[in-house]
Amino acid sequence: MVKVLHLKLVRELYRSKGLLLLISSIIAVGVTCFVAMQSAYHNLNEAKKRYYCQCRMADFWIDLKKAPLSELRGLHEIPGITELHTRIQFQATVDLEDFVEPVNGMVLSLPDRRQQVINGVVIRQGDYFTDRRRNEVIISEKFARTHNLYPGSSVHLLLNNRRQELFVVGTAIGSEFTYLVGPGSLVPDAVHFGVFYVKRSFAEEVFDFEGAANQIVGRLAPDARDRVDEVLRSAEARLDSYGVFATTPLRRQLSNQFLSSEIDGLGAIATVIPAIFLAVAALVLNILINRMARRQRVVVGTLKALGYTDQPIFLHFLCYGLSVGVLGGVLGSGLGYLSSTGMTYVYQFYFEFPDLRSGFYWYTHAVGVSVSLLCAILGSVHGSRAMLRMRPAEAMRPEPPRRGGVTGLERLLGSAWKQLSAIWRMALRSLFRHQFRTATGVFAAMMGSGLLVTGFMMTEAQNFLLDFQFHREARSDIDLVFKDEQGPEALAEVRRLPGVDHAEPLLTVACTFVNGPYRRKSGVTGLQSDARLTVPRNEAGEPILVPQAGLVMTRRLAKILHVTAGSKVTLIPVKGERRPVDVVVARVADSYMGLAAYSNIEYLSQLVGESLAVSGAQLLTNRRPDNLSRLYRELKQLPGVQSIQSRRDMIESLTETLLMNQYVLIGVLVIFSGVIFFASIVNASLVNLAERQREVATFRALGYSQWQIGGMFLRESLLTNLVGSLLGLPVGYGLTCLTSMLYDTDIIRLPVVAANWVWLTTMSTAVVFALLAHGVVQWSILRMDYLEALKVNE
Amino acid sequence: MRAPSEAPNATLLKMENVGRTFRMGEVAVEVLKGVSMEIVAGEVLAVVGPSGSGKSTILNIIGGLDSPSMGQVWYRGRDLTRASSGELTRYRRDEIGFVFQFYNLVPNLTARENVLVSTEISTNPLDVDHVLEMVGLTDRVDHFPAQLSGGEQQRVAIARAVAKNPTLLLCDEPTGALDFVTGKRVLRVLVDLNQQLDKTVVLITHNSALAQVADRVIHLRSGAIAEITEIEEPIAPEEVVW
Repeated sequence: MVKVLHLKLVRELYRSKGLLLLISSIIAVGVTCFVAMQSAYHNLNEAKKRYYCQCRMADFWIDLKKAPLSELRGLHEIPGITELHTRIQFQATVDLEDFVEPVNGMVLSLPDRRQQVINGVVIRQGDYFTDRRRNEVIISEKFARTHNLYPGSSVHLLLNNRRQELFVVGTAIGSEFTYLVGPGSLVPDAVHFGVFYVKRSFAEEVFDFEGAANQIVGRLAPDARDRVDEVLRSAEARLDSYGVFATTPLRRQLSNQFLSSEIDGLGAIATVIPAIFLAVAALVLNILINRMARRQRVVVGTLKALGYTDQPIFLHFLCYGLSVGVLGGVLGSGLGYLSSTGMTYVYQFYFEFPDLRSGFYWYTHAVGVSVSLLCAILGSVHGSRAMLRMRPAEAMRPEPPRRGGVTGLERLLGSAWKQLSAIWRMALRSLFRHQFRTATGVFAAMMGSGLLVTGFMMTEAQNFLLDFQFHREARSDIDLVFKDEQGPEALAEVRRLPGVDHAEPLLTVACTFVNGPYRRKSGVTGLQSDARLTVPRNEAGEPILVPQAGLVMTRRLAKILHVTAGSKVTLIPVKGERRPVDVVVARVADSYMGLAAYSNIEYLSQLVGESLAVSGAQLLTNRRPDNLSRLYRELKQLPGVQSIQSRRDMIESLTETLLMNQYVLIGVLVIFSGVIFFASIVNASLVNLAERQREVATFRALGYSQWQIGGMFLRESLLTNLVGSLLGLPVGYGLTCLTSMLYDTDIIRLPVVAANWVWLTTMSTAVVFALLAHGVVQWSILRMDYLEALKVNE
Repeated sequence: MRAPSEAPNATLLKMENVGRTFRMGEVAVEVLKGVSMEIVAGEVLAVVGPSGSGKSTILNIIGGLDSPSMGQVWYRGRDLTRASSGELTRYRRDEIGFVFQFYNLVPNLTARENVLVSTEISTNPLDVDHVLEMVGLTDRVDHFPAQLSGGEQQRVAIARAVAKNPTLLLCDEPTGALDFVTGKRVLRVLVDLNQQLDKTVVLITHNSALAQVADRVIHLRSGAIAEITEIEEPIAPEEVVW
């Protein structure tokens, strides 16, 4: 391209800097999303790979009641298994002197001497076990820090009905607890849950597990990883007599599921959201470049008259778009890197890695900038080429007026059209005659509104989930788990505790469900007939009465087993006589967490061949703080209690975390959609205004005020915005459904909930953005030189 | 007397039975009807006619900006009507200099830069500063069009056209947007270019008074040539009165 045209380009870019910046901002947001999420994806993925390698993450877990080590070693014979490690694992209550609320811990054994094991730990403070004491403990880092525990301090745990003092030698993290959540919770809570690694010899002694183990972790050969389920079935068959509670492949391991879902979610969102922004940017840029090219018809004709070929002229106009693409791409790339650093920092609060760091992935940035340029080219090529098709003489003639005549809308409205004022008729005709511009505005508003709806519906989904799971389905204040099954007298004792207003028994039986070729290990929870602390519910939230016989099965479990209400399923309990029993699925309940099944407690007891047994209790408490403190103290002293979970504390912590996430999510989505609304409306309105300067000046000469003139343009932009926003409501609903599918796992499902406030808030926000954007247009009208526009100058 | 760069009286361009019809929706407008004429090297040729007579259309066809609907156009023996888009571009670049009624300057370029726009693609351009000096704009070379008067803008446009060193200078109503005094000043520049640089000048105007500076005048009426007159003694631009 020749040099003087470069100068022209630079000056005109500077003159149009406002509009070009606006469009660049749409591109920048899209590229920022892409780079931020892809970079965060790579950060997490790389950290995960390193961590899993460092700790030698297991490929499977097998939980069982108790098995001798000699039997467990035999599992090596199963093809595919390359390595095994046996562990002793129990839940325990942590007795902290200066902390009244119940705190739970998972106690896990590690070899007495440091060696390479599967699911090893990374020591963060202090050191591994020594030979000095039998009762040394290594505590999970965040828990230790929260409770001011450090090497040299001591902590008391209730292990096997005995209060044991443990001496802290170190703090650590482990890859199998990258996302460390306590039972029944969704978010990490270092206040109420931690992991305690003890010496194997100590665990054997304290839990009466000499020469035995109740958990096996193993690794598979690379070619066996695809058939892990088959391997686990073989292992389960061998260990059947030892009461296998659960077999868990890596993909279903709790921490790995949360981490992998997050990583996969990032990858998916990194494609969808940027695509929306870049599509809008390309369309909006197309309008601008078309307008620019039309305004420079005479210049184009003159350049052609001077002897310029098509190529430099085409490239000249293409460069307008490319400059927007470059600016948007570079801005987005930089902001994306900063955002990914921020996201990675925030992830550290949820996922514990030894070295989660923010990296610069040049290929991600290159793709982001390239896509940005491609979007800019797509947006500019049409306007640029249109100029080349004209003959020079035609280009230098004034642009012929657009086609006139009656629009389709006028015919449609018929006599109703005549009722409209001239101003409204002008606005509607303008919209219908500039079809591409109107369609672009509608599309942009649709996308902006869709994003808002998605954000609001996600918030509503989280609130609904919280309410459904934690206030309607499970309604207790405290959940107790007993170490062993107790009789009804244990419940009576619990009911007598200070501060307990109401207590209900629970019997949890781990089992395997079988329906033909479909199997799943899960559990059945037995409830009393008139239970009101665990209440299965249907989709509408109505309570489902647990029948005297049969199961109430949650929908996801029923889907996995391919059963419906009325079907029979075979239940093979892990405890008791372990006889397969056919049971009827009486009802299917809805639930958004886990794979639960419920039955009457007496019925369940009979199924497993026992008299009435109780494995836990749910309590409603008196909420007075001093009563609670007494109750917690008493519970910690109660023999036979393995864990105490304060659901109220857990729900408070969860609510706080979710609320914070919601504010961030909504804030980000409102900003994103604001960029789309604002940029597209301002661009279209200013282009419209530039084309109609003489018309606007004429209205001024006729006596219209600047605000009345502004009102003419406001009608057009509001109409476009409202139509697009309305269309965006179902788009947002669809996007939410897609997002819900991403978070559809055995652990958690996000419901799709449509509430009236979502639609109202979206439309209100769209109107606010339209008014804000119109402010820019009104300001241009106020500043316009009307004499110049009318060319009345001497 | 003029000393033409071409051989004296050599035919530079010839139009034979050229017609041009424009379609506007369902309506066809025949702007030129069977026009035949020649342009002689080194002359100042005026094409005069009322508004709508087809003057600008003839100029556009001569300059390769437009193609006739019928007839043929030869430039130095080359048939322009059969030329491709690329050949016409090269023709405009190397042979033609345009001066438009409304100047058609690029608003974001200074006077000097507007002239550079044409010299940067020319194979044998004249010196930009010299040309600007010729049109009397040495002091205004760094001003933008918005900072120049109409006459100054037109002189920039003339400088842009001449700096390419074309054979043929085509001027479409060069004084149409100017006042009396400025218009005569612009005419002087054109006549000087013809006399000093041997440029063949074709001048389109509706103002028959201006045609007195030309060597020949073609009178157009309703798309056809009504008359061709030769002027033995063209008058100086300063003596023109309208």
